[in-house]
Amino acid sequence: NIDPEALLPKLPSPDELRPFPTVCSVLFKGHKGGVRSVAIDPSGLFLASGGDDGAVMIWELRSGRQLYTVNIADEPVNVVKWRPSKDTMVLSAAAGEAIYLLAPFSIMSPEVENLSREVLDAGWGYAATSSTNGTSSVQKEPAAKWSRPESKLLDQGVLVKISVRAPVKAIDWHRRGDYFSTVSPKGQSSAVAIHTLSKHLTQLPFRRLKGLAQTAQFHPSKPIFFVATQHTIRSYDLSRQELIKILQPGARWISSFDVHPGGDNLIVGSYDRRLLWHDLDLSTRPYKTLRYHKKAIRAVKYHHGGLPLFADASDDGTVQIFHGKVVEDMMENATIVPLKVLKGHKVTDKSLGVFDVDWHPREPWCVSAGADGTCRLWC
Amino acid sequence: MSGDLEQPGPAQEQTSKIRIQFITRDTDHELPAEASAPILVATKFRRYALSTLINTLLDTPTPVPFEFLILGQFLRTSIEDFLTANGISAETTLTVEYVRALIPPLHVASFEHDSWVSAIDVLSGSSPASIWTNNSPGVPSGQEKILSGSDDGLLRIWNMSSEVEAISSVSHNNHITNAKFLSPTRVVSASFDRTIRLWKYESMPDFGPTSTLTPSVELYGHKASVDSIAVHAPSSRLLSASQDHTVGIWSSKKTDAPPAPQSLLPSSSNKRRKLNPNPNSVSQRGSLALMTGHTASVTSVSFAPNDPTVAYSSSLDHTLRTWDLATRTLVDTRTTAHALSCLTPLQDLGLVATGTDARSIILIDPRASATAVSALTLRGHTGTVWALSTDPSSAYGLASGALDSTVRIWDVRAARPGSGGIGAPEVECVYTIERESGRGRKKPVRGDEVKVFGIVWDGEVGVVSAGSDKRVQVNRSPQGVRDS
Ligand SMILES: [Mg+2]
Repeated sequence: NIDPEALLPKLPSPDELRPFPTVCSVLFKGHKGGVRSVAIDPSGLFLASGGDDGAVMIWELRSGRQLYTVNIADEPVNVVKWRPSKDTMVLSAAAGEAIYLLAPFSIMSPEVENLSREVLDAGWGYAATSSTNGTSSVQKEPAAKWSRPESKLLDQGVLVKISVRAPVKAIDWHRRGDYFSTVSPKGQSSAVAIHTLSKHLTQLPFRRLKGLAQTAQFHPSKPIFFVATQHTIRSYDLSRQELIKILQPGARWISSFDVHPGGDNLIVGSYDRRLLWHDLDLSTRPYKTLRYHKKAIRAVKYHHGGLPLFADASDDGTVQIFHGKVVEDMMENATIVPLKVLKGHKVTDKSLGVFDVDWHPREPWCVSAGADGTCRLWC
Repeated sequence: MSGDLEQPGPAQEQTSKIRIQFITRDTDHELPAEASAPILVATKFRRYALSTLINTLLDTPTPVPFEFLILGQFLRTSIEDFLTANGISAETTLTVEYVRALIPPLHVASFEHDSWVSAIDVLSGSSPASIWTNNSPGVPSGQEKILSGSDDGLLRIWNMSSEVEAISSVSHNNHITNAKFLSPTRVVSASFDRTIRLWKYESMPDFGPTSTLTPSVELYGHKASVDSIAVHAPSSRLLSASQDHTVGIWSSKKTDAPPAPQSLLPSSSNKRRKLNPNPNSVSQRGSLALMTGHTASVTSVSFAPNDPTVAYSSSLDHTLRTWDLATRTLVDTRTTAHALSCLTPLQDLGLVATGTDARSIILIDPRASATAVSALTLRGHTGTVWALSTDPSSAYGLASGALDSTVRIWDVRAARPGSGGIGAPEVECVYTIERESGRGRKKPVRGDEVKVFGIVWDGEVGVVSAGSDKRVQVNRSPQGVRDS
């Protein structure tokens, strides 16, 4: 009689896998209503948040000090994402059918402010001089309208407003900071848009997408783009404009995914409570399925600063931290160990818990955004 | 087996004794040579009886309260219970270190502000600013001043009657991170607005207790928040730690300071920025040097206590760095496992204490010859350790302020071996000072505690701390006990 457990490779204990976040260090209170999205800036010093109150806030991460607030819309800010650049300080935020590009100049030096303004303003007039978008002229109306926001917003550093056709739920920046993608699940043929900042240009490369788009992401190093619909994740070669692979996580409704910084692995979160790990070298099916949450998973995120960590956020009010070590050897699989359940966010009357999670660019710290109106830094 | 020991037995139990070798590192309280041999002491003795015994041996004119360290632990029970708890035989000679007791300081006053307070300093007869001026004009007892800098961008100077004597005539453009007295009439401040400002503090005897705090020089050079400053008046030098990863060197003399870099002046940027009301046309100056080496935000900087041409800095890049200010070069880098949030040198021990974002304080030996980075670890805080200050009356004492609503007082002699016998020895705090603002209130949830951003331990005024409860809190040991 052999215990089947004994045949399994022994997992390291969490204690051997430090450092990882274990306690709430800072509570960020200021939003009225739930916080939908959080993002730590590339320097690791600032936290941006977007809430149901239509506000975008910026906080000093370690002190919890509120540094900047702008009431950007009369509807929820669904997503905030920093432009990946250390020379500029540019935040993108989406509320309703608009994407806003902000340079919160009250918290930056004149030098960074000038560079940030330049990068945001360089594309004005491009659309007018090049008349069409370069491709076919069948398009009746432009995919998006780039405009100056009202002066009240301009005064606070909100320098660009991009109006699209359907509410935006996801933003992802290409690593070089000139392109960013947005996803509007109800946008049908315009659900996935790719925007070029230097040209103030919006393109719709995925006009015949099968299924409702949920979210999308650029590959961390190759010209590959991933698009998640409710059931599948497709990867596309951007230079050849062709489909590479269709991943089948087996989830009923995908909420989120993240590509490992190495580029060969991917985690998926689903509203049906599953966290799935895909090894892109192995199969189109998940390598591992983790069911640790009692409610929907809304966000998943790898640590992108060299630590073998990933996290997910759930409507059960918890953030869970995992060790996920990717090995260089193609034949060896990733080691996955659950490390910590971070509790603190309150679940609301509407059964909403944690909406979003993001990692610090270097440290073993993560932040979460809660339906309870708070953001939390976990160290 | 020592023949001196009495035979154990029921009849002798009450007078059971142990041989104790008393030692101390308090040079003021060394035992005379004739009393330095091991002494037989009843094992039923507790701290108080031992303290009385030491006072008798020292023949102190007025009693000095002592605490007792055995194997790095403070004696909190009878010796007998301590021996049992630690599995020590009563037949050994026990080495017991006596240290002057730290008396928990009591709450004396709280000064209320309209916003978070991060910057704090004290001007007293024993504070550096008055020592540098040979105590001239001098700060008589009871005439001490407390300087605070808050998130409204304003500096305030308080007297010991909790009154604001002066408020800065202009404000920084963002929250103040740090402020110090340079002399009894000069103040320096640093802000998230990237500037360091020098101020004139003048009393106006004709107008009662009011004084003025007016700007004299604005220092430009940093490209991000200035989070900490250090001052050394005799050499007219200021040091700064910035989120732009550099350590700045500045002159506090207007005539020695280079011109300010034009690109960093507020007037050169866009019109929407609020122009600083500059009625007295405040001079704008630049840095002597901005030293590079750190790869992340610099959180704190300090002059070496014995040598003002040497500086230490702590950074979120996990390092403590040593700088030679004469050549303006990086001399040494000590790398730890954690982001470092503050530092203070411990002069007599040759160590530098640094606070970490991992809720600990590490004592680092900054000498290049040191083999281990960390000499001691102080554990107990449950939040990021944001500020440190040394005990004005003990080389071994330290106070720390953290984002967990507390100030903790430490005696680094209370060091026990590290967990599992590996790693640096660990120290537990002697006592904890809570925020008065939280008295009688429900304990806040983790992460929502009062953040203590500033702390100064002054010989006269006591432990002064500032935080996100918008208050400066003064705690002082009861008079006559500590300094008897
Ligand atoms: Mg592989």
